[in-house]
Amino acid sequence: MTHRQFITLTVNGDRREVVVTPEMLLLDVLRDGFGLTGTKRGCTSGACGVCTVQGDDGRAVLSCLSLAIQWDGRSVTTIEGVAGPEGLHPVQQAFLEFGAVQCGYCTPGLVMTVKALLDRTPAADAAAIDEALAGAICRCTGHIKVKEAARQAVLRLQAAAQEQAHGPAQG
Amino acid sequence: MARRKADLAVVGRDQPRLDGADKLTGRSLFTDDVVLPGMLVGKVVRSPHARARILSIDTSAARALPGVKAVITHAEAAKVVIGINQPLFRSDTVNYIGDEVAAVAAVDEATAARAAALVRVEYEPLPPLPTIDAALADGAPILHAKAEGNLAWQSAEDRGDPDAGFGAAATIREDTYTTHASHNCYAEFHAVVADWSRPERLTVWTPTQTALLYQKSIARSLGLTDGAVRLMTLNTGGGFTGRTSARPHHFVAALLSRQAGRPVKIRASADEEFIVCRAGGEVRYRYRTGVDADGRILAFEADLLFDTGAYVETQMIVTTLTAAYIHTLYKVDATRYRGRLVHTNNIPYYFHHGGGIAQMAFGLGLHMDALARQLGMDPVDFHLKNMVTEGHTSLTGTYFASCGLGECIRRATKQAGWKRKYGRQKPLRGIGLGIGAMASGAKGVFRHDTSAAFIKVMDDGTMTLFVGLPDMGQSSHTAMAIIAAEVLGAEVADITVVSGDTDITPLDVGAFTQRGTFNTGNAVKAAALDARRQLEVTAAAQLDCRRSQLVFRGREVCSQAAPDRRVPLKKIIYDTLHSREGRFVMGRGFYNSPKESGTMAYSFGAQVAEVSIDPDSGVITVERVVVAHDVGRAINPRIVEGQMDGQVFSGMSQVLYEETLLEDGQVLNPSRLDYKMPRSYEMPRVEHIIVESIDPFGPFGAKEVGEGPIVCTVPAIANAVANALGVPVTEMPIAPWKVLRLLGRRGGKGG
Amino acid sequence: MQLPPFDYAVPRNLAEAVDRLAASAGNAAALAGGTDLLVNLKYRLVAPAALVAIRGLPELRGVRDGAGGGLDIGAGELLADLLEHPRIAALGGLHAAIRAVGSQHIRNLGTLGGNLCLPTRCWYTNQSEAWRTARTPCWKTEGLVCHVIPSSTTCRALNSADTAPMLVALGASLVLRGPRGERALPLADFYQDDGVNQHTLQPGELIVRVLVPAVAGRSAFRKLAARTGLDYGYASVAGVAIGPARRPRELRVVAGSVASRPVRLRHAEALVLERGLTPETIEAAAEATRADLGEVTNLFSPPGYKKRVVRGLVAKLLADLATTKERAA
Repeated sequence: MTHRQFITLTVNGDRREVVVTPEMLLLDVLRDGFGLTGTKRGCTSGACGVCTVQGDDGRAVLSCLSLAIQWDGRSVTTIEGVAGPEGLHPVQQAFLEFGAVQCGYCTPGLVMTVKALLDRTPAADAAAIDEALAGAICRCTGHIKVKEAARQAVLRLQAAAQEQAHGPAQG
Repeated sequence: MARRKADLAVVGRDQPRLDGADKLTGRSLFTDDVVLPGMLVGKVVRSPHARARILSIDTSAARALPGVKAVITHAEAAKVVIGINQPLFRSDTVNYIGDEVAAVAAVDEATAARAAALVRVEYEPLPPLPTIDAALADGAPILHAKAEGNLAWQSAEDRGDPDAGFGAAATIREDTYTTHASHNCYAEFHAVVADWSRPERLTVWTPTQTALLYQKSIARSLGLTDGAVRLMTLNTGGGFTGRTSARPHHFVAALLSRQAGRPVKIRASADEEFIVCRAGGEVRYRYRTGVDADGRILAFEADLLFDTGAYVETQMIVTTLTAAYIHTLYKVDATRYRGRLVHTNNIPYYFHHGGGIAQMAFGLGLHMDALARQLGMDPVDFHLKNMVTEGHTSLTGTYFASCGLGECIRRATKQAGWKRKYGRQKPLRGIGLGIGAMASGAKGVFRHDTSAAFIKVMDDGTMTLFVGLPDMGQSSHTAMAIIAAEVLGAEVADITVVSGDTDITPLDVGAFTQRGTFNTGNAVKAAALDARRQLEVTAAAQLDCRRSQLVFRGREVCSQAAPDRRVPLKKIIYDTLHSREGRFVMGRGFYNSPKESGTMAYSFGAQVAEVSIDPDSGVITVERVVVAHDVGRAINPRIVEGQMDGQVFSGMSQVLYEETLLEDGQVLNPSRLDYKMPRSYEMPRVEHIIVESIDPFGPFGAKEVGEGPIVCTVPAIANAVANALGVPVTEMPIAPWKVLRLLGRRGGKGG
Repeated sequence: MQLPPFDYAVPRNLAEAVDRLAASAGNAAALAGGTDLLVNLKYRLVAPAALVAIRGLPELRGVRDGAGGGLDIGAGELLADLLEHPRIAALGGLHAAIRAVGSQHIRNLGTLGGNLCLPTRCWYTNQSEAWRTARTPCWKTEGLVCHVIPSSTTCRALNSADTAPMLVALGASLVLRGPRGERALPLADFYQDDGVNQHTLQPGELIVRVLVPAVAGRSAFRKLAARTGLDYGYASVAGVAIGPARRPRELRVVAGSVASRPVRLRHAEALVLERGLTPETIEAAAEATRADLGEVTNLFSPPGYKKRVVRGLVAKLLADLATTKERAA
């Protein structure tokens, strides 16, 4: 039998110690240990994207291909940590308004994928959006409204950044 | 009821889906998220043979493993029969790779997996029948005693006088096509949690398109009353016609739970999903059409041969659906149909997205297009000449009260630049037209096609709408709230939709055969009208008018006669309850097609696809799809577009990519990686044209947009590919190597 | 799918990692990105008693200037990080090859060394344990048959590592470190045409660095898969041309996903070197690839298709090489 050990994992800003064995996936610890079931279990082989979370380097991470033990001392953001106290994150808001949500099973993974992309590449163009979304699959939307929502999120975030830099056009 | 757009306050406005924020923040629960105290993990022990005799089953080692709480085989479940006289577990022979032999439940997944591996089954392998040809060959072993010649089911019918029709025809064309096995590939894998801890009560959580049919079949097979079975649908991660009847794992989880006295969860693994899901098998089609000298269709014949796999669940429905399809598209006076389901040792097949129609439409679209060209006609003119129109009654007795097919064809081809492009494309570029129709409802498949709804109106102006219709992504719950809000003069935000619990929610046949908006929508409208009538007494008294003069709109009520004097809706509701009578407002309504058989409404569509082909690789790129769909009335336009998008994707995916590759009954590509579907890069530009024919029977004129578009996408892309290649296309999917073969047949490799 | 139990070790440095692997006598596996290893563990295709985490090892990190203006890339570098490195971006072919690996999600976890060690794939083996019980074992699963090519006496599973043909074409070599010390090996010699033992890594040995020599020429990469993202190719081709655009002095063209190792397309190269790069020679060279390929493993597509794909890809690749302007690495 493999040995158990404590790891320190920060999820959505909450730092916790959890007991893991080496074979436990980040996915399982998030869902079963933290009770954060927004991160979905899909193909568990890295091909469908529904388990995507965001790592401390800002990148999209497949939690089904990450050992929890590898995340000792690090932090991740899951779908439950994306919306702020003021409401939905601009990516979520764009998904909602532009009809990018259907059955909802792949939605958390898609949101995390797009958020990770925009955090690192605020001016992501259509090609960059295609590249990021190619790691996920969605029969419901065919990615079309998801891509549109991602483009809208880019525009809104850019506008917000501009406003912050120069102040609103009118006080 | 108001018919003009301007008269509608809520219907036709873009309304973000009500469950959107929950789905976007991870709050929405799916079956795999259910954790109950003491819950066990179940695993099914499946046959590794496509065909074999079971010599012995030994479960002693599995039972002895610590942590194992239940083990069942046919011995424990002999009386449990599912589908069409199919025992839940095999005891004599296994008939496909994945056939249920035993099941275990244990305290955790690892223990359950170990226990499953400890169930020792001794087999004597028998030569399998992995294809239709093998099953129909002379001297082939008979897989099921009752299925002579391995024919599981057949239906044949003539309508009108097809012999006379073909006899009078100036031109007769015949073509054959094949569509290969494919898989629904939902985002959410099959999963179930069953709690039968107490013998008198079974609760089942599972994704479904129809809680009612699951509840009834689980109750019947397990010897329970319907009321003893509580079916819980949290969210359903994709339906695509594939979740319309309970599967073996639903019964297995219940039985494991009963034996263990604890709740049990079963979740399909990635490759097991291909077995559990069933999806579509190979189908061979022969179409024959006779036309007169003017190109008018006189007679049509279809002969369909289905690989139905090891067992028949309810796949005979596919023959009912495909037999009637031609009559929803063209005015035809004589047809002949034959449909046969053949047993093989493949997965027992069911439905892929498009319910047999989208797959049938592949060859049908190519056939009609080829016929038009043979006649020297533009396909547009051929369809316009033969298509059904408003007021037409088909041979099947279907009356088309609304029909925007002509408008769809004209607008889609105009926007796509058909006249400019058709026949004038550069080499290896093609343009194709696909038309389709889709029923809104299941009457004829079932005796009744009822949906019911309740609405509870609170004295602060908020309302709770109860429906039994599941929402597996199509945003139907939001559509129902829109309809209720429109009738009651409320805003969508005032309404909470409750669904997914058969203890609470009213009867509903379910979300398939595109019946949600039409049937449940009509039920909701009736329930809302019922509630409104209860409010009208108070409103008419306060506004000094007749009840028929009342207008409920924008959270206010007024009289048509004095529109400036408005009373808040909330006040009317409050005063109704807080009266001496204490009248609590609760509306109820239901809808069922009044016809003996057949549905009340059909949606229609036309799509134009443009493709280009790389001659080096045979890869087809879909560049643009123009979608025109007659939805009757768009209740929620952006959601309608989203439905169109998804179906363009799924149709394109089926025509060009998807195939469950089988070798001796084994799926070679049971994964999201190797079962090919396009992704973000491959998606074409999709343009939407919403055609509103305002159906007289639909709620506010609405029909459907559930599977209507996909039956147009498939032939549109197929015809565009055939147009680009200049040679007949006969097989779906049109994989790139098939394109190269066709290019070779054409001679040269093109420009 | 769940992982089987295993021990997990986090060595502090390369020496410790090599010691751990050597001490296990083949019963431990090095874990870099894990994008392939963890899936194979879930499938029970491999069953190491321990995983030794090597991704963070300092010796495996960094992109440095190599000898003579070349590149010295840490094998543990994330593929995603490499794509953002200016010197990799300047090597158009290598950038394209790295970008062709998996999806962005996969590249966010996967490393260059991991991609070079990607086990060969076959749809009779890369399946769950339950799936495999329905079939007799093959060469790869300790049986005595190949389900793809029944006459074959070895495993013919496909090497589909997208960076491999490109780095072979670039003339890259590896710095390996094992229990017996460090050695350098041309990448072309790292691979062998055996689906089970596809590379010559000794027990306990790790790829430490990938050395790309300075190339005063042009590189290009092309891949064709069923879809652009997250897919193994039907085939890929990589090329490097040195010398005048229409008259290269040196040319290396390598195909991937056609055999158990990257395949050098020497007939095609020779034809171009002899006659130059013109539309006519490009056609002839593309045709000549048939002779180079021999018997390909027709997995994931029917017989004949891979050869057609290579033919088409090589034609496009040579056209790229004739037109691409590129700085030296």
